[in-house]
Amino acid sequence: MVIETEILPFWQWLLYGGSDDAFGALPWFFIAMITAGVVALLGGYLISAVRHGPIEGGDRTYRVVVGGLKNLLVLSPRRVYALARLTVQESLRRHVLVTLAVFLLILMFAALFLRIDQPDPFKLYVSFVLTATTYLVLLMALFLSVFSLPNDIKNRTIYTVVTKPVRPGEIVLGRMLGFAFVGTAVLAVMGLASYVFVVREIGHTHAIAAQTLQDAEGGGQKGRTETANAHRHDVTIDREGYGRTDSVQGHWHEVTQTGSREDAQYDVGPPQGVFLARVPVLGKLRFIDRLGEDKPRGISVGNEWGYRSYIEGGTQAAAIWTFDEVTPGRFEDGYLPIELTIRVFRTHKGDQDSIDRGILGSIVLRNPQTGLQSEMQSFRAREYYVDQQYVSRKLLDSDGNPIDLFDDLTHNGQLEVWVQCLKDEQYFGMAQADCYLRPRNQSFTVNFFKGFSSIWVQMLVVVAFGVMCSTFLSGPVAMMFTVAILVMGLFKDFMLRIATGDVYGGGPIESLIRIVGQQNLMSELNTGDVTTTVIRTADAVITFPMWVVASILPDFRGLSKVRWVSEGFDISPSLLAQDVSVSLAYLVGLFVVGYFFLRTREVAK
Amino acid sequence: MASDVIIETRALSKVYRDFWGRQKVRALKGLDLEIQQGEIFGLLGPNGSGKTTTIKLLLGLLFPTSGRALVFGRDAVDVSKNERIGYLPEESYLYKFLNAEETLDFYGRLFDMPASVRKQRVAELIEMVGLDWAKRRPLKEYSKGMTRRIGLAQALINDPDLIMLDEPTTGLDPIGTREMKDMILKLREQGKTVLMCSHLLADVQDVCDRIAILHQGELKELGRVDTLLTVADVTQVHARGLTDACQHEIREVISRHQGELISMENPTTTLEELFLSIVRDSAARPGRRATVASEPVPPASPSS
Repeated sequence: MVIETEILPFWQWLLYGGSDDAFGALPWFFIAMITAGVVALLGGYLISAVRHGPIEGGDRTYRVVVGGLKNLLVLSPRRVYALARLTVQESLRRHVLVTLAVFLLILMFAALFLRIDQPDPFKLYVSFVLTATTYLVLLMALFLSVFSLPNDIKNRTIYTVVTKPVRPGEIVLGRMLGFAFVGTAVLAVMGLASYVFVVREIGHTHAIAAQTLQDAEGGGQKGRTETANAHRHDVTIDREGYGRTDSVQGHWHEVTQTGSREDAQYDVGPPQGVFLARVPVLGKLRFIDRLGEDKPRGISVGNEWGYRSYIEGGTQAAAIWTFDEVTPGRFEDGYLPIELTIRVFRTHKGDQDSIDRGILGSIVLRNPQTGLQSEMQSFRAREYYVDQQYVSRKLLDSDGNPIDLFDDLTHNGQLEVWVQCLKDEQYFGMAQADCYLRPRNQSFTVNFFKGFSSIWVQMLVVVAFGVMCSTFLSGPVAMMFTVAILVMGLFKDFMLRIATGDVYGGGPIESLIRIVGQQNLMSELNTGDVTTTVIRTADAVITFPMWVVASILPDFRGLSKVRWVSEGFDISPSLLAQDVSVSLAYLVGLFVVGYFFLRTREVAK
Repeated sequence: MASDVIIETRALSKVYRDFWGRQKVRALKGLDLEIQQGEIFGLLGPNGSGKTTTIKLLLGLLFPTSGRALVFGRDAVDVSKNERIGYLPEESYLYKFLNAEETLDFYGRLFDMPASVRKQRVAELIEMVGLDWAKRRPLKEYSKGMTRRIGLAQALINDPDLIMLDEPTTGLDPIGTREMKDMILKLREQGKTVLMCSHLLADVQDVCDRIAILHQGELKELGRVDTLLTVADVTQVHARGLTDACQHEIREVISRHQGELISMENPTTTLEELFLSIVRDSAARPGRRATVASEPVPPASPSS
């Protein structure tokens, strides 16, 4: 998994934003709200003026705005509670629990189609339950939220509600809260069921038959475990009776021996290396080129995705990560766990450089101040594979003298990690997030439920959009509208890049012409100068509203944290707080929009 | 006195438009009305005459195209006026999956009533509309009459000063109709204002103090029921125990004074009265066929 963008601390994200952003998230929220308000005001006035004339229209708009703002925050908790409760009762009556039944049914039969003999069953199982939950819960939230209010209006039950002293805001908020409660309850049950399912399916142990073990050189024993979960391990047990298995399907086991040699029993522990929630500590990456000169980036190998840049093997070129706060207090176990994911660009292939074997590289730790270096450690860079290095505290320097990792190689807690490719004419590709320290792990259980919180966040956004759309659209139309928002939200990034002109092939009209005329994305349009100008101008006009829409859309892909959990990365509290804030922002914003829609419409026909 | 005016409309008009804003129907044309405190006001008219539109405008369910609707001196779109209003819609649009208690409790919460008050009020109203025996059954199992009763109960949950009833007696059997009319009269005794609309003329005549007759969205007639219905040049005499000779004598007196005798006959009762008396009799002596022919029913008293 690639974490392309840096995760900012929550407050910085909220108030100031990253180095590329002009504002933090909160100022953006207010800018968006105020802009939307002004646009709505002008639009409302125009419609009103067309219908009633400029003066009467102005008077009506004024009354809507003043009366609306005055009543916006008149919310009685008892009324909101009553409406939310009614919403829950209505959801139950509409058999919302069928969703749960479907989910449990899927889990019951999941073992039939999820193959346990995959290279990484943990990833498969976790991503499966999270993805299935996401789809089911979002669909449920969608169907519940878009039909409720239109049904009330169609059945005229709304007549008996709005003729009570109920504010439109209370109706909208009660709906949103009611559906949020239903979604939360369903999600909680699904989360627990999923957790039990994953732990039971992935957690396993192996038996070792004592008679299959053979004496190994040096006094230990070697052998194989019995098969469990469609795999078996090789075991090595040392003279003291402690051992471990090799790594299969992304995990290994500890083995302990009880009893004496003849009637020994072997205990195989739970799988290690899965159920992880790694907390990566990222450093800053810089490069030096083949001649040893500092460069901000490596070289390009012509890959379209410019995220990673490359260093050439067998030269002085190196990728250098600088980590802060490398202190003994932070790495209490006394060693430094470094994880590396290296992309390899091969200019030739053969036995030596086969994909199985990987390409030889080296890691050197260096004191940024004194330049003292540790002895070179070599590793084989295999693609799509996280290479784990545990650097012990007692090291040798490049001349073979003993040195201490924390005392000699760090300066004010700073440590440099140099990575080089040792093989001529082969290249290593890396980006800042590809090398990180891992001082500790978070609890997988907590991370798993953080993953479910991310589904919860998406569910809230869908509910907010569904209820908002249902304040002014009929049920089916509101559903289509919300589905459109969901789908466009999944492609938000792409839309933004089209709108800002970052995608090859031009804006919507230009792309259409290229598709119809089967033209290359990179070539100049062959429509003639004038036509091209017209097309480009029209595109520029279209892309602005496109940019506005794409900016407002919820980024469902970003909100989804399935891969974080399934690939064993901890969802940092800051990230979770950001996502929760985003969903609250949507709730608040769409509440206001829905309130005005409901207030300015006639609920009777 | 201005403070006694509960409802006031000034040139109230409503035009229904289609999606594109094109005019479809002019449902109400320049309605001017004033309804005083403590009166029962009836809106009369054939289907599509604008009665329901008027009530919806007064409730803020619809927005006027022009003119104004004021309730308790406040604009009809102002939600806070609803604190003192009870509304029984044309059909009781209630949540079918709730039972009677839950329904009333829900509407009580919408009035922000604290739990203790709500509980007491719900029990009182269920008792009043006679649904004690069915209060735990979901409304989807209710008959039309029962739904109507619970609809009335929800309209009265806040002890309103103004009650708007849209076709209050449709769907009710004669007993229910009579009870509904008695209820309306009782509400007036409590000093409440009632606005009802109906096309059942007999019902309106029975209970209303004043009526307005609408036709095609226009106000055609407005006034007190007794004044409007009094036929000035006809005199009606009701008497009991007159002999044939006496009746003959009366005819002579009339002709002597150059009067025209329109009719002199034994009155028939109304079907409503007949029906009610049979049902009462059957309830008092179950299992027997009521013998109406041998026991003549007393004629309806004009006041009921």
